[in-house]
Amino acid sequence: MADPQNASPVTTVDLGDLDDLDDDLDALAAAATEPPPDPELAAAATEPPPDPEPAAPAIPPVEPLARAKELLRSHPLIDGYNGLAPVLRSMHWYDLEAGESLLETDVPRLRRGGIGAQFWSLQETADRADAPSLGATLELIDLVRATVAVCPEGLRLALSADDVVDTRNCGRISVLLGPMAGPALGDSLAALRAMYTLGVRSVSLAGSRWTRNSGLTPFGHEMVREMNRLGVLVDLSGCSPDTMRRTFGVTRAPVLLSHQVEPLPDDVLRGLRTNNGVCMVMCTPGTLAETADRLDRIREIAGPGSVALSGAHDTGAAHAAGLQDVSCMPRMIAELLERGWPESDITNLTWSNVARVLRGTEFAARAARPRRAPSRVTIGALDL
Amino acid sequence: MDTPTDHLQRARELLAAHPVVDGHNDLPWALREHVRYDLDRMDIGADQKGRLHTDIPRLRSGGVGAQFWSVYVRSDMAGDTAVSATLEQIDIVDQLLERYPADLARALSAEDMEIARDEGRIASLMGAEGGHSINNSLATLRALYALGVRYMTLTHNDNIAWADSATDEPRVGGLSAFGHEVVREMNRIGMLVDLSHVAETTMRHALATSVAPVIFSHSSSRAVCDHPRNIPDDVLALLPANGGVAMATFVPKFILPAAVEWTHAADENMRAHGLHHLDTTAEAMKIHEAFEAANPRPVPTAATVADHLDHMREVAGIDHIGIGGDFDGTAFTPAGLEDVAGYPNLIAELLRRGWSDADLAKLTWQNAVRALRAAEDVAADLQTTRGPSNVTIGELDTV
Repeated sequence: MADPQNASPVTTVDLGDLDDLDDDLDALAAAATEPPPDPELAAAATEPPPDPEPAAPAIPPVEPLARAKELLRSHPLIDGYNGLAPVLRSMHWYDLEAGESLLETDVPRLRRGGIGAQFWSLQETADRADAPSLGATLELIDLVRATVAVCPEGLRLALSADDVVDTRNCGRISVLLGPMAGPALGDSLAALRAMYTLGVRSVSLAGSRWTRNSGLTPFGHEMVREMNRLGVLVDLSGCSPDTMRRTFGVTRAPVLLSHQVEPLPDDVLRGLRTNNGVCMVMCTPGTLAETADRLDRIREIAGPGSVALSGAHDTGAAHAAGLQDVSCMPRMIAELLERGWPESDITNLTWSNVARVLRGTEFAARAARPRRAPSRVTIGALDL
Repeated sequence: MDTPTDHLQRARELLAAHPVVDGHNDLPWALREHVRYDLDRMDIGADQKGRLHTDIPRLRSGGVGAQFWSVYVRSDMAGDTAVSATLEQIDIVDQLLERYPADLARALSAEDMEIARDEGRIASLMGAEGGHSINNSLATLRALYALGVRYMTLTHNDNIAWADSATDEPRVGGLSAFGHEVVREMNRIGMLVDLSHVAETTMRHALATSVAPVIFSHSSSRAVCDHPRNIPDDVLALLPANGGVAMATFVPKFILPAAVEWTHAADENMRAHGLHHLDTTAEAMKIHEAFEAANPRPVPTAATVADHLDHMREVAGIDHIGIGGDFDGTAFTPAGLEDVAGYPNLIAELLRRGWSDADLAKLTWQNAVRALRAAEDVAADLQTTRGPSNVTIGELDTV
């Protein structure tokens, strides 16, 4: 597996200098992919000191993982997609603040992962066959609100870009409601407005009647315009490239893709750059290096301003060793540092790009509201 | 001696200080049916006489200070369809508030109602009409609360899975176990339990379980007019202990015995012609019109409503009565109470019957505001000891 430690240019760091996160990761990775480690080495790995600061070198060595963590302290990760909400629904009891080993997400690991904000999906996991429903979405919103309310030291519900910044400055982690499944809106603009009032800030268009036939119907245009008017992020994950192209032509706000599986065509990536939107690359499937390859490609074609990350934890998707939970994100950043990403590109990736999309969406809403009344059009009237 | 004009003048003065809190108005549904929510085509800021019972000028002249707008959806709707339609109804109330900010003020609490009154605006609250609007989900109930809904009528005309309606065949015998849990959760979040439309058994069950005041948003007295939509005396007698409020309604076919009989006869006539009694085809209407020509429709007056209020006052007490006109939710209205401008006529009638200013202030304003405030206090207490309930109907009710 790709291990930033192995590839580190600093060869003088011995095992005793690894901090405890790395111990965990290495132990897990070793257990997953390799024969049991040498007991002596393993014992050495658990020895203090936990801090990677070397004793007294003349020039501090640039250790990518340490650098990644430092960058994440000032520019924490805004993680585009997490599947915790539907998973919690089936658990009788959980304590996210103390930590929950059955999950891939909890507050201690979010903190270790340098995550400052996270979108909590309101979509069903893929194993649930039932179509997305309004009722199920309302239940998930309720569950997220209740969960956040009982984790006041760790989590805060964020409804705006300002909230995300305030929450970071308070040392808490923002939870953003979304994306919700577009089909759950039941083709109702009033339902969209109700969801906004309840705190939903992102809607995934895929699967809606008005994105079918590989495009965006007239009612779909109206939905996107209403999302713009409200300040709801337009999530194009899983849409056909034609739907994406059509949406670029309609939306006044930057779009995002929080959980795109299929590789995007180059012209769509360039369209994303023009739109000022962001593609949040999922840390699954494949190894850490393969995820980094996807990030490289998006950065190269869409530009460093249009690339971000989605952990996609607790979604039921398998994660490679080294990416198995939310605490692993610094490894991903370390890998990119090793690949030569400038630090400004890294801070764009973790924080600034998504923050810009949030602000851009809010700005578009402020611009639209005085010019446009709430839309009351029905799908029947427009799409026939 | 006071002349009728004097009574009306005094009624208006009283209403200026203690305006009407009306428990139920179906303007949202009327806007949906008439103009598909197109407020450009139906401007309630202007006179809509002849098209609607309700508009802002007439609310003003009627002395209305607070209105529970019903976010009713048809009780044959179910599942997501009912929830989604309820969200649309809430949405149109939001749009009304945005469109008429000088006249309508969003009110989410008793305090908001008082602030709105002091600002000279009409406090606008929302009430859901029927448990079908929450689709057996306590999370959806909480979502409605978060969107501003402050009461829920447990059923409309049809039974729902967890509660029996007054106008359907008994099924669960009042509230099911899940129905009791809905009432408890409404208490916990501070949403008033509305017992209009529900079966007597449901009324008694809910009153036994609720630790907050309940309301009847638009129901009158069954002793005065025997109709299942009205409240039996023994239930009215439970209100003092509960702190709740029975808000008398104006719907002719519920409040005037002659109108109840007439409606039965008219329905019978339709069936005798082999038609369903709610048939509105041209042929059916012709038969119905012929019946109405031969048998004039009995029309109640403000005095009929006053008869109900006199009796309800006697049984429940002056602190437990209010007004819920059901305007725009009924095709016909009493003489003198034709529309929302009519409330002063009712107050004048009660003055004529010797009601004091203090009595009338309780009837119009104070009782309803007190009930909402008490529900808020109960909720604040309960929330210190109880978290949200996530029980499902499947867990509690064995079907």
